[in-house]
Amino acid sequence: MLRSHVRLAAPLLVVLLAALCSACNVVRFTLNNPLSPEDVAFIVPGQTTLPDVIERLGSPDSINNSNTGIVSVYRFLDMKYARVNFGWLARPWSPVDPDLIFSRTGFGTDAFQVFYDSNGVVIQHSFLRHVTDRPFHPYPF
Amino acid sequence: MHVFRSLLFLATTAMLIQGCAFSRGTLGDDIKTEAIDSIKKGVTTKTEVLTLLGAPDRVLPLNGRDVYQYYRYDGKVGSLLLIVVNFSRVSIKGDDLYVMLNQNGIVEDVISSKRTENLEFRFWPFGE
Repeated sequence: MLRSHVRLAAPLLVVLLAALCSACNVVRFTLNNPLSPEDVAFIVPGQTTLPDVIERLGSPDSINNSNTGIVSVYRFLDMKYARVNFGWLARPWSPVDPDLIFSRTGFGTDAFQVFYDSNGVVIQHSFLRHVTDRPFHPYPF
Repeated sequence: MHVFRSLLFLATTAMLIQGCAFSRGTLGDDIKTEAIDSIKKGVTTKTEVLTLLGAPDRVLPLNGRDVYQYYRYDGKVGSLLLIVVNFSRVSIKGDDLYVMLNQNGIVEDVISSKRTENLEFRFWPFGE
């Protein structure tokens, strides 16, 4: 009997705790397909050509001139944002709505650049920044 | 008892879920596949390209050639609003088309890809 009461009360307790607990926000923002070193491992300088790269990665976000040939750039973003409002804990006992917010944003902005010679063969390729996969982390300190 | 549990589950879910939100934003016109397919290398002229696709978003000088760039962006936002936590995911992808013209104004190469075709509404921020 007691066990069945606990079973029935548990979800309600969760709801009650949820209502009293802090408000959390988890947001992710992605622009294009984030590329990893594994995704571009097929590119071999001196062998891979512009059509090969386009076939695997799609058309680049920009094409620019360089002294040796063209440069194609693939831009992407993987932003992670987490926010916790601990002020919610005091709301049942406070006459005002207090806020104590911890939040943190990780901008995983990166770009992948491929340099080609005048014949469209890859000379070199590199990531603009070396963004590591950041976790959702609201603690800002 | 089974019905009661189901009702309790539904009530709990209803209390936890405050709502959902779906939003969408686009920049630029859709680049029609038929228009891209009708551009023939070595045949189609600059005037025909402009008639088919309109004025380009950017004109790039590239080793003595003109490159017309057309782009379009599509963004989808899904949010799941719960009492404890809100999950949101914003996904934006772009379509790019490059038409390379030689010095005589004839199409030399066409580079295009449609990344927006597989764009979905998502609210779960974790994983891929």
